[in-house]
Amino acid sequence: MNSNVAISILTMAGLGFFFALVLAFVSRKLKVKGNPLVEKIEEILPGVNCGACGFTSCRQYAEALAKGQAPIDGCKAGGNAVLCALAGILGKEVKEGLKKLAIVHCGADASSRKKKAIYNGIKTCKAAGNMMGGEIVCRYGCLGYGDCRDACPFDAITIINGLPKIDKNKCTACEKCVIVCPRNIISVEEITTKNFMYVSCSSLEKGAQTRKACSVGCIACGLCQKFSGSIFFVKDNLAHVQYNKLADIKNKDEVITKCPTKCITLVN
Amino acid sequence: MILNLILIFIAASITHNIVLTYFLGICPFIGVSKKIDQALGMGAATTFVMTLAAMVTWLIYHFVLIRFGLPFLQYAAFIIVIASLVQIVEMFMRKFSPPLYRALGIYLPLITTNCAILGLTLFMVMRDYNFLESVVFGVGSGAGFTLALLIMAGIREDLECCDVPKIFQGAAITLIIAGFLALSFMGFGGLISK
Repeated sequence: MNSNVAISILTMAGLGFFFALVLAFVSRKLKVKGNPLVEKIEEILPGVNCGACGFTSCRQYAEALAKGQAPIDGCKAGGNAVLCALAGILGKEVKEGLKKLAIVHCGADASSRKKKAIYNGIKTCKAAGNMMGGEIVCRYGCLGYGDCRDACPFDAITIINGLPKIDKNKCTACEKCVIVCPRNIISVEEITTKNFMYVSCSSLEKGAQTRKACSVGCIACGLCQKFSGSIFFVKDNLAHVQYNKLADIKNKDEVITKCPTKCITLVN
Repeated sequence: MILNLILIFIAASITHNIVLTYFLGICPFIGVSKKIDQALGMGAATTFVMTLAAMVTWLIYHFVLIRFGLPFLQYAAFIIVIASLVQIVEMFMRKFSPPLYRALGIYLPLITTNCAILGLTLFMVMRDYNFLESVVFGVGSGAGFTLALLIMAGIREDLECCDVPKIFQGAAITLIIAGFLALSFMGFGGLISK
């Protein structure tokens, strides 16, 4: 009995040792030299495999970078820190200080938007939006169930009184919220200047109609266009901004305060 | 003699197909059957491992385990053999075919735990094959596995363009197709009366 156990152990150990030797030999023969640059880049990348760069994994992006086939500002999740580190390794220059941010083009919280019904269905924006456009009167505004918050991989969005608030330190401009919002009211913009302003309304209804639905919607009165010298402009019953010209705006306070429904917001 | 070998090959690859009759190796059968070229690569890798595994395990079983009176160690010993072979195939593939290596991804190391290969080696012992028969059995099983994978990949490529009802999409329709394939392969049953 005892000898049987001993023989078993010896046999298995022998087999194991034999195959270990074979493997060691083969692995030496078939060694693949990895690119050390790829390893380095991969260490810098956040490693969350979010896919915002257009590659399926951080590893593939790193490989493309090492070959010089991908732009170095592809990694949205890593933000500026990663961009600078990559630029350091790859010996390229970057423009400093550009920060991209998700922006919500609706400013109507739960107390500002009027309701047309009581909604008892599934508590997601997608479901509510499909149910005859949701419980609110406005066909364009935020539904407030927080699909964007749930989609955000970085916990940058909180819903405050039925309206998403974006934490600009946490936001990496990965655009997951942009994709998921059924109302398409979130966009990602490059914050190029301290004067960065946006219109927090998406309603294309005529002024009177917008006013009926919400107290803070853009009524397309055109005052902003007048005061800003056409940096703001009204199109399709909604004010728009030429973001690239905002750096030159002179009377930004006036534009903001003169807006009758206070729907122009400053990012600061 | 030769007739016997041919019969073993046909039995292993068609009438007693390891995937569609014994339902072994379903993981890669579902996982790597989305594209025909990937399926072919996986089939080739598995066939290679199966053939080598059949040879090596036959030698080890008869010259080591039987000799020392330890046939009960066959499971552990066979697993060692298979795991080592898969490692070798993986290194080989990484060196000579990086695209295929990347395409197969996690399914390549998973050949280690592919029950089709362990099943093959155990059948081989159970049926008392001699060395040549074992080799043919290994090649045949590999061919059968590749055949099943290719048929499945072909169907699934066509399926991409089909309007599958929502509840059947994904794994559900794949498993249903696997069932139909298994049924149709039963039609080959009369080919060999053994």
